[in-house]
Amino acid sequence: MGRYIIRRLLQAIPLLFLVSIVVFSLIHLIPGGAEAVFLNPRLSGAARAAIAHNLGLDQPIVVQYLLWIKGAITGNFGNSFVDGQTVISDVSARVGPTVELFGSALIFALILAIPLGITSAVRQYSIVDYTITFFSYFGISMPIFFFALIMQELFAVKLGWLPDYGRSSDATYASSFDYVLDYLLHLILPMIVLSLAFMASWSRYTRASMLDVKRQDYMRTAQSKGVGPIPILARHGLRNALIPVLTVVALDFGAIAGGAAVTETIFAWPGLGSFFIESLTGRDYPVLMAMLLMSAVVVIFFNLVADVLYGVLDPRIRYN
Amino acid sequence: MSTSSQVMPPSLPEEENIDELLTLTPQLARKRRSQFRIIVDRFTRNRLAVAGFFVLALMGLAALLAPLLYHATATYDPSTYINLRESPAFQVPSWQHLLGTDDVGRDEMARILYGGRVSLLIGLSSMFMAIFVGVTIGALAGYFGGIVDNLLMRVTDIILAIPLYLLLFVLSASFSNGSIFSVVLLIALFGWTYTARLVRSEFLALKEREFVMAARTLGASNLRLMVRHILPNAAGPIIVSATLLVGANIITESILSFFGFGIQVPLASWGTMVSDAKDYFLTHPILALSPGICILLVVLSFNLMGDGLRDALDPYLTER
Repeated sequence: MGRYIIRRLLQAIPLLFLVSIVVFSLIHLIPGGAEAVFLNPRLSGAARAAIAHNLGLDQPIVVQYLLWIKGAITGNFGNSFVDGQTVISDVSARVGPTVELFGSALIFALILAIPLGITSAVRQYSIVDYTITFFSYFGISMPIFFFALIMQELFAVKLGWLPDYGRSSDATYASSFDYVLDYLLHLILPMIVLSLAFMASWSRYTRASMLDVKRQDYMRTAQSKGVGPIPILARHGLRNALIPVLTVVALDFGAIAGGAAVTETIFAWPGLGSFFIESLTGRDYPVLMAMLLMSAVVVIFFNLVADVLYGVLDPRIRYN
Repeated sequence: MSTSSQVMPPSLPEEENIDELLTLTPQLARKRRSQFRIIVDRFTRNRLAVAGFFVLALMGLAALLAPLLYHATATYDPSTYINLRESPAFQVPSWQHLLGTDDVGRDEMARILYGGRVSLLIGLSSMFMAIFVGVTIGALAGYFGGIVDNLLMRVTDIILAIPLYLLLFVLSASFSNGSIFSVVLLIALFGWTYTARLVRSEFLALKEREFVMAARTLGASNLRLMVRHILPNAAGPIIVSATLLVGANIITESILSFFGFGIQVPLASWGTMVSDAKDYFLTHPILALSPGICILLVVLSFNLMGDGLRDALDPYLTER
C-alpha cells in the first residue's frame, strides 16, 4: 500500500506539470495578453512598456513560464494585478469561508444522502423509493443558480427568515452565542444550495450500491445465521455499500468547486469561489492562474485519496 | 458474412414455414420481436422515461415552430431583436401575452420560445461535437493501446484535473464572442472526457472478443474493425451518455450565460433570461421562474430518458 501511494504521488507530478503548462498557455493566449488590464488609453507607450517590464511580461514566453513555475513550487505566485498584494495572501484570506461552506455542505449532503439511499434500496420499488428517486432526479437536474435564486428570494428576501447574503452581519455581538448563531444563520442557505445536487446524486449512488450488496452471498449467509434485519444492514450491508459512495464523494471534488463558485457569488460569500469570479471580471491573471493550478492540485489529491480509500476500505482490492 | 450460406444446415425450414408456425403458436411470435422492438418495449415500460420523451418532443416542437406559433402576438421580432410595437412593461399574463411582458415590454412567451431554440440548439450541437470527439479519442486509445492510449489518456487527465466550470468561466470570459457557435465549441471542447473514458473501456473489453478476432482473420482493416464490428457493440453506453450530456450541457450553458460569460445580447437563452429577470424576482416572479422551470424540465427529461435508455439498451438485463 505504501509503495502504491508513493508511485501514485510520483505519477501525479508530471501530470501537474502538464496542467501548469496548459493553465499558463491558456491565460497567455487570451487576446490582448496579460497586460490588457492596463490598457488605459491615456498611458503612453513608454509607461506601458515599463509596466510590462516590471511584471516581466517583456520576456520570452518560455522564460515567463519557467519563472512562474519556479515561483509556484515555492508558493510564490507573484502579486495580484488588482490590489498589489501577493497572490498567496489574497488567496489564503479567502480559504476559511470556503472550507466552512464546503465542509458543512459536504456533511449536510452526506447526512441526508446516505439514509435516503439506504431507505430507497431497502424498500425498493415502494412508494418511498419512487418518491426519493423522483426528488433525486429533481435535485440532479436543478440548475444551481436558479435554485439559489429561489431560496434567496423566498426564504431571505420575502419571508425574512434567514439572512440573504454574506457570511455575517458584521455587527457587534452581545455574547459569543449571538456571534456563532449569526454565522450559522448565514451559512444555512448557501449550504443547502451547494449540497442539493450532490445530495441527490450521492443518494442514487448509495441506493445502487446498497442494492448491489443486498444480492451478495455474505448477506444471505448472515441472514441464515439468524442476524436480525437491522444488524445485517448496519454491520454487513452498510459497511460494504459505502465504499463506492465515499470514492464518488472524493471524485466529485472538481464539480463541488464549480458549484461553490456559483453559490458563493450569488450569496456574496467571501470565499475562494466568489474570489475566482471577481478575479475573472477584474482580469487578475496571476490570481486566476494560481487558483486554477491549486484547484488542479486538490482535484488530483482527492483522486488519489479516492483510490487509496478504496484499497483501505475494501480488502478484496490489492495493489501491486 | 458471405460464407454463411455454406455453413447453413440444410434441415432448417424455409422462411414461409416459420411464418406459418408463428401464426399457429402466438407465444413464439411474441418472442420473435426485432432487437429494436425489444428496446422500445423495455423503454416504454419505464413511465418516467416516456414522460421525459414526450416533454422533450413537445418542447422541441414548440421551439421549432416558434415563428409560426408566435407570429400574430409577438411584440418583438426575434430576428432583429427589436420591439415591433410599443407594449407596456410588466403586464400580467393574459390571452394576448400568455406569460405577460418583461421589463421592456417584450412578450415573455415569445422570448421563452426563442430562448428555447438557443438553449436546445446549444445543448444538442455541443453534445454531438463532444460525443464525436469523445468516441474518436476513446476508440483510438482503447483499440490501439500502448503509446496512443497513454498520450490520449494523459490529455484526458489534464482536462479532468481542472474543475470544468472554472476552466469554462475563464475561457468563455476571454475567448468567446457570445455567439452560439463559440459557446458550443467551448462546451464541446472540454465535455468529451467522460465519453472518451467510457468508450475506451468498452473498446478495451470488446477488442479481445471472438467476433473481433474472427473479423480480423477474415482480413478486416483496423478502421473496419473499429467502426463496423466494435462500435455497434458499444452503442448502448454511448447513447446513454449522449442523452445525459445534452442535459449537462444545457445546464453548463445556462450557468455561463447567467454570469454573463455565455450567450450575449442580442441573443438570449433561458440562462440569460433568468439572469435578466433576477432583479424583478419579488415583484414579477414569473419572468425568472418560466425560463428557470424550462431549463429544469428539459434537463430532468433528458436525465429520465437517459436512465430509461440505460435499462432498455442493456443487453445483459434479463427479459421481464
